[in-house]
Amino acid sequence: MNDTIEGDVARYATVVRAAFADLAAPERELLLEDLEDHLAEVAAEDEGPLAARLGAPEAYAAELRASAGLPAPGAAAAGRRRSSLRESRVARRLRRSWRAAVAHPAGGAVVGFLPELRPAWWALRGYLAVQAVAVVLSALTNDSGLSFPLPAPFGSELLGLLATAVAVVVSVRWGRRGPGGTGRRALTLAGNAVLALFGVTLLLQLGADEAAGDDYRPDQVLSYAGPISGLRSDGEEISNIFAFDADGKPLRDVYLVDQDGDPVVVTHYDNEYLEPRIALDRDGNEVPNRYPQAQDEVDAAGRRVPGPTPEFRPPPGPVRVP
Amino acid sequence: MDTTQLLKGVLDLAVLAVVAERDGYGYDVVRRLRAAGLEEVGDASVYGTLRRLYAGGHLTSYVVPSEEGPHRKYYAVNEAGRAQLAAATGTWRSFTDAMDKLLGSHGEEAA
Repeated sequence: MNDTIEGDVARYATVVRAAFADLAAPERELLLEDLEDHLAEVAAEDEGPLAARLGAPEAYAAELRASAGLPAPGAAAAGRRRSSLRESRVARRLRRSWRAAVAHPAGGAVVGFLPELRPAWWALRGYLAVQAVAVVLSALTNDSGLSFPLPAPFGSELLGLLATAVAVVVSVRWGRRGPGGTGRRALTLAGNAVLALFGVTLLLQLGADEAAGDDYRPDQVLSYAGPISGLRSDGEEISNIFAFDADGKPLRDVYLVDQDGDPVVVTHYDNEYLEPRIALDRDGNEVPNRYPQAQDEVDAAGRRVPGPTPEFRPPPGPVRVP
Repeated sequence: MDTTQLLKGVLDLAVLAVVAERDGYGYDVVRRLRAAGLEEVGDASVYGTLRRLYAGGHLTSYVVPSEEGPHRKYYAVNEAGRAQLAAATGTWRSFTDAMDKLLGSHGEEAA
């Protein structure tokens, strides 16, 4: 008789426990650690099999789940493995806000639309995977770096195009096969996280490149302190002045003053590398209105060489004032 | 009205009240709830509620050896459980007051 009761309890408990297989072991134990003892108490109260008094073990498990604040096993299988047994207050609040957001018509519409974006993500994921590999390769080989929009593994955009096509197909097939087992799901989640992070990094990098300008010249980033003086012509800053005589011969050491006798000083940004250099007199004082000012430029090899004198062809003479 | 739906919301309170009155083991709590008039309460619901309150730190438990039959795990309300019971009782009182006011006139009309 006792054997029968024990067997009945064990069988009943086994079926109930099976319904909690989706929970993590510690949570399951917290909930079910004395299930057998409890069922034995119930069995000892009265005659007859447990199922006759408690109902089917599956139904018992469902009721137990609900009263413990757990989601239905279907919801848990869909990927939300959680338990209110040990849920922190923050997590509960987050979940409540999420529910509220989803319950709102606009929130619900957005959330309902998300699954439709999945195929787009699958395709993007394939592209990002190839771009990630290409970036790592170029870092390893000290190559040209990021190639956008087409990734260029080993410096070949054609290879990048082919690899992207293959990767997109593989990624979409992977996505279409559904979540699958735990290992597969973990792999997908990890891969998605890495590639999404890479995608964001890529965007930021592109944004930074754009801000720095496409053809990047090192000297442009030298300090810029704003003009310390200024001369404009037709709205354009004038940084140097070249004087020519009537024959078109460039003049050197010309002093310019305005109508009041004050020196005419061109716009100067205090950029010692690219700006004209202001002449100094015997005492070391600046002579800012002596033209043309000496102006260097950097040649292709990175050397500083004297800048060119602009060409000037004098108008056909004789020139007169009407 | 379906009592099981109403029970869901107040089972915590009911179980806390029963255990606070006197320590009890699982099936004992079920029986006392039923004796108090909550006849539709399910064993699984009570067991799940006891486990949840225990896991949440509102109950403590101890095992009492028994000569005939299995050992019994008794549950007792601790400080946190008592505070929870007091708070929930307050909520329940104001809720039932409001419902009474709402339903009071209907009862008179029907009578």
